[in-house]
Amino acid sequence: MRTYLAKRLLLIVPTLFGVAAVVFLIMRVIPGDVTLLILGGDQTGRIDPQQLAAMRHQLGLDQPLAVQFGTWLWGVLRLDFGTSLWTGQPVIDEVLIRLPLSLEVAILATIVSVLLAIPLGMIAAVRQDTWVDYLIRIVSIGGQAIPSFWVGILVILALVIYFGWGPPLEFTPPWVDPWANFQQLVWPVLTVGYRYAAVTTRMTRSTVLEVLREDYIRTAWAKGLRERVVVIRHALKNAMLPVITLVGTEFAFLIGGLVVTETVFTLNGVGRFVVDAVAHRDYPVVQALVFLIALCFVVVNLLIDLTYAWLDPRIRYH
Amino acid sequence: MTAPIRHRPLFVSLVALTLLLGSFAATGRGVATAADTPRRGGVLLAVIGADPPSLDPHQESTFANIELVAPLYSTLLQLDPYDYPKIIGDLATEWKISSDGLTYTFKIHPGVKFHDGSPLTSADVKASYNKIIFPPQGVRSVRQNAYTAVAQVEAPDPATVVFKLKFPSASLLANLASPWNVIFPKSYLDRDPNYFKTHAIGSGPFKFKGYTRGSTFEGERNPAYFVKDRPYLDGYKFYISPETSVRAAAIRSGRAYIEFRDLPSAEVEAIKKQLGDKITVQETAMTGQWGIAINNTKKPFDDVRVRKALSLGIDRYTMARVLYPLTGLRYVGGLMRPGSEWALPAPELEKLPGFGRDIEKNRAEARKLLAEAGYPNGLKVVLKNRNVKLPYQDFAVFLIGEWRKIGIEAEHRPLETAAWFSDGQDTGNFELLVAPTVEFMDDPDQFLGRYATGSTQNWGRFSDPQVDDLFSRQARSLDPVERKRLINDLEKRVLGNAYFTTGLWWSRNLVHWSKVKNYVAPPNHYTNQKLQDVWLSED
Repeated sequence: MRTYLAKRLLLIVPTLFGVAAVVFLIMRVIPGDVTLLILGGDQTGRIDPQQLAAMRHQLGLDQPLAVQFGTWLWGVLRLDFGTSLWTGQPVIDEVLIRLPLSLEVAILATIVSVLLAIPLGMIAAVRQDTWVDYLIRIVSIGGQAIPSFWVGILVILALVIYFGWGPPLEFTPPWVDPWANFQQLVWPVLTVGYRYAAVTTRMTRSTVLEVLREDYIRTAWAKGLRERVVVIRHALKNAMLPVITLVGTEFAFLIGGLVVTETVFTLNGVGRFVVDAVAHRDYPVVQALVFLIALCFVVVNLLIDLTYAWLDPRIRYH
Repeated sequence: MTAPIRHRPLFVSLVALTLLLGSFAATGRGVATAADTPRRGGVLLAVIGADPPSLDPHQESTFANIELVAPLYSTLLQLDPYDYPKIIGDLATEWKISSDGLTYTFKIHPGVKFHDGSPLTSADVKASYNKIIFPPQGVRSVRQNAYTAVAQVEAPDPATVVFKLKFPSASLLANLASPWNVIFPKSYLDRDPNYFKTHAIGSGPFKFKGYTRGSTFEGERNPAYFVKDRPYLDGYKFYISPETSVRAAAIRSGRAYIEFRDLPSAEVEAIKKQLGDKITVQETAMTGQWGIAINNTKKPFDDVRVRKALSLGIDRYTMARVLYPLTGLRYVGGLMRPGSEWALPAPELEKLPGFGRDIEKNRAEARKLLAEAGYPNGLKVVLKNRNVKLPYQDFAVFLIGEWRKIGIEAEHRPLETAAWFSDGQDTGNFELLVAPTVEFMDDPDQFLGRYATGSTQNWGRFSDPQVDDLFSRQARSLDPVERKRLINDLEKRVLGNAYFTTGLWWSRNLVHWSKVKNYVAPPNHYTNQKLQDVWLSED
């Protein structure tokens, strides 16, 4: 197990290096120049080529690509992700402003989705082909088909039109004002949670159905065990492996992937920050964020694999 | 076994509903009551569609900068908040122009202090204008070219500033009233000319309180403001959201009281319908137009007949009727804003290609010109655009439909802002490009400089010595009648040769809660942003 863990941890290094290199190259290949954007402003701009050259030099963009990449990588090794080309602020400071919000939404939405999905998926499986199953399937297919940002817009419009009330426009951390925090996050958490609950419900239903057909379940029924014991203790635990994979990757995705939901609910999260940084060609910010999101995925995947072994004693890593 | 499982979602829903109802009660807002006497206190809550690239207005040209920081600063002159485009003093109490038009002398208001407590003197004005007109290495100044007439700025004593000119400039006073030319403390500029990209220390009615990128920007009342008894507000706070429907919902729910830039007419109607007289909408013209940059260096657009056909093919009068409710694009005009003192009179405008009211005649002429240019069966072109819906994409979609009627098949290619900028300004990698022009006032130097040879804003890359000469002469002409004639001649020359062609001039729906008092919307979202006279009739 230790050897396996060490191998996996070591593999993180080339994975992240690959991600960093690919993102670095992509950002340089796509059209658009951060210096022109900075000098040009919004709709007007009178740019002197000397100013342009001076700005490129100031930002270090006149260096060869390999030197730029090496400099950035050396910074990362020292946990220095550089400064934003657009704001001049340290990238890590900008990320830390947004990370608590994104983590809170990701954690709460994951909790909501798990709390909804596992019971519903299990009920749908146990009551297969009854009206309960059909209802749960309709709700879950609806959740997959309807984008959560669209649900979000509808929720906001309904609140505003029918109640003259809208969610707060500014993030307040829960330790500062839990009530304000709740008022702002309850709607995005529910809409995103519903979306991911829909996916997880279907996965839970399928895997529980599969497990319920196993011989050892038939044996359990034959032994006269109660339904609760058969389903929860014997079937559910074994059905959880693919569900955990799904929930884990969803969680990692939620940290940086809620761009439109963040926009709709005016959440100043990591997702919007990534898109904003790409639009502004803010290379250090994009590189740092993609790097950190990739790190999240790698770590979550490792944790999922370790959870497998904990859930299923038959699985042993060498 | 299943009972607890079935009940859990219902329980969660009930808890959420209870908390929601509680939250409505906690944030309910009453009807605004009008009062004529200004009321002190309250924080003006506003929404804005973008973050500023930096906090330094000398280096930026976006509303996302000026709306946020204007209340923190003073300027030498300003446009009258109640009487656009009248120029009045801000820091300047009086000024004199020498008889040869080459020396402008300003007296500075005594006793003005920056927010850090240091006194504001003519040395600060000089340092700020030197940064704008003669920026040091590594400092950008997007308005530097508006001051080519200025030879030097002098500060002979702490209360006097003198601008010495190389040649008379008709637009200098207007440019000195620019909201972007805020006065910074010299001591900070001496240490770092880029200091104010990330800091804000001014002498305006409000002091900088805080900024969280992507979320909020706040200012608080400056008790030492040099204008007596101002400001009325305790502070202001902008919520930043790029999504139009979210900003509109924030106004509807009372989470914000004002959106200074614009909201689409459909949103405005919905807000008015729901909130009635709690809401005020100020409709104004806009000192901005959406036009089409034609790349004069690329075939077949180097042929005047093809360029003219492009302009003749657009039914601008129908376009105005169709696009106004969707986008706010509203007025047919030339290179200067219709209705402004410099605008080309309508009868003269209608003689120019594409501006006549008989569209069938225009289209017939367009087809004839295309045939003469070697395209009897029309041609295919690429129209590049910014991937911003309002008003860019709706505008382009209409254009494409119009051009199809004369046999021009235009492929619409929306680009991300960075690529759009790069293609238009830097590389010239386009045939046709949607190109707006938005300025802070109807100043000919600002609007027409882009048609001069070599201007970085001359995205169409054309060069006409006659246009250059007309631009140069109008900029130096101190006789308004003569200046208008030169400006109109320049318009006729540019539009007559279709070097560039205008589409429509924008209009603006400024939406605010009626409890926001004493704000008169000028025809753009750059000026009258100091908020020193604005007050709230209730919180």
